[in-house]
Amino acid sequence: MSRYWQLIKIFYGASIAVQLEYRVNFVVNLIGSLLTAVGSLFGLSILIAGGSSLGGWNQTEAIVIVGVFTLMEGFMGVFLYPNLNKIGEGVRTGSMDFTLLKPLDAQFLISSRDVNILRVADLLIGVGLIVYASLQLASVQAPGVFVAVLLILAGFASIYSIWFMLCTTAFWWVGVENITELFWGFFRAGQFPVTAFPGWGRILFTFVIPVAFITTVPAEALIGRGKLETALGALGVAVLLLIVSRLFWKFALRNYTSASS
Amino acid sequence: MKLEAKIQMGLLENLWRKSKTMFALWFAHMTVYRAEIFIWMLSGVVPLIMMSVWIGKASANGGTLENFNAASFAAYFLAAWVSQQLTVAWVAWEMNFQIRQGELSSKLLRPIDPLWEHIFRHFTERFVRGPFILVVVIAGTFIVPGTKLTPDLWHVLEFLLVINLAFLMRFLIQYCIGTLCFWFENATAFDEFLYVLQTFLAGGFAPLEFYPPAIRAVVEWTPFPYMVYYPAKILTGTLSSSETLRVMLITLAWVLAFGVLRSILWRFGIKKYGAVGA
Repeated sequence: MSRYWQLIKIFYGASIAVQLEYRVNFVVNLIGSLLTAVGSLFGLSILIAGGSSLGGWNQTEAIVIVGVFTLMEGFMGVFLYPNLNKIGEGVRTGSMDFTLLKPLDAQFLISSRDVNILRVADLLIGVGLIVYASLQLASVQAPGVFVAVLLILAGFASIYSIWFMLCTTAFWWVGVENITELFWGFFRAGQFPVTAFPGWGRILFTFVIPVAFITTVPAEALIGRGKLETALGALGVAVLLLIVSRLFWKFALRNYTSASS
Repeated sequence: MKLEAKIQMGLLENLWRKSKTMFALWFAHMTVYRAEIFIWMLSGVVPLIMMSVWIGKASANGGTLENFNAASFAAYFLAAWVSQQLTVAWVAWEMNFQIRQGELSSKLLRPIDPLWEHIFRHFTERFVRGPFILVVVIAGTFIVPGTKLTPDLWHVLEFLLVINLAFLMRFLIQYCIGTLCFWFENATAFDEFLYVLQTFLAGGFAPLEFYPPAIRAVVEWTPFPYMVYYPAKILTGTLSSSETLRVMLITLAWVLAFGVLRSILWRFGIKKYGAVGA
């Protein structure tokens, strides 16, 4: 375990050192992240005009969800995108061979090689929004915060697993390199509370694409509206997805024949 | 026939032949990427997400929200989705790639402005996208009962004209951003700014009726509502013909403005490109 920890430190250190060369990019990306957050808040103000609510959430409560959503987007941008989206390239060019030959768990190696610090701003803005809104809500209590942190970590696990499975499909569909855009597109529904959707939308975003468990449920816990069954549901989904994605990866590897053969 | 007329005919024929070749070539190219195009198409799902949020909001409000009910929200956002699909442009990414990889050098040797290759790539891609769009529209009108796009053929023709202008506008804006690659390391970040502004101002997020009046007044002076909002209004048959004419003229004006800007940026940029010796 400590060996893996050491490796992560080496990988991330090298990755960050390379990116620090391009400082202008950093500023431009920071502006982009801020613009996105302002856009989300502006959109929210249109939806909750004149003191109305959005699926039973008032403006401040809904900002918590936007915060969790931005945090999740940051997680995808910083940790998932720069790693998992290279699986397709590895399969196509055959460089996956070298990854598989290393005396390490290949899934670990594929998932932790790089980190994109340009997107760290999204993580910070997400946390900032959550803290800003929470300070104005009297219903935010310590136990709720603890559960929310746990559920956000579960959300990371769920997103990672879905993303990883989508990228693993590259073993069969070599040409389709943009498949994660599909999840990215539908995940945008997560910036709203799931109760804002009509019945069929709620079912879609809870059971088919579990966006509700990733953003609404942690936010609910934070603002003191959490329910035991949804919290357990979110944890269950995360564990289940981790297991399924691991099995799917093993299955995909058995089908891997390298690029030349 | 007089000689001049003959030469003119020859030029026209030449142009037609070139267009046919370009179309056939890039259409074949795009059909290879049909799976990826299908996924890009599905990932542009924001108007459909917003459709269900607004329908949810209308039903929580007792069925209507400022003259919009479930069916009219469904029609608007379905039309907005179609408009967004038909105006998609990614030329900034193509240019970023070509300039940074030096691929542009070989394109410059050809006796045709590289602009046309980009246009044909986008144009032929619409024909691959088309059948998928039709399926979604037909399914969409069945999902929410009462959803109607305009039954008037005239409106559809107006829409087709406006949407092509809107595409050219979006394409040229992106092209201008793409030329920034001549000066900046990574101009795709600017494209992301554009994307965010488009998401919230073009009309895919909410009909402009719901924007605060002051903000709407400002937005009207930008090209954004002419990308999605106004085309969608035309397709749902909720824009008067005099308004439609106004929209056409303004979109055309934006097309010309960005066309001129594009030529200027391109001319200066190419000099810069040559100077690097790439």
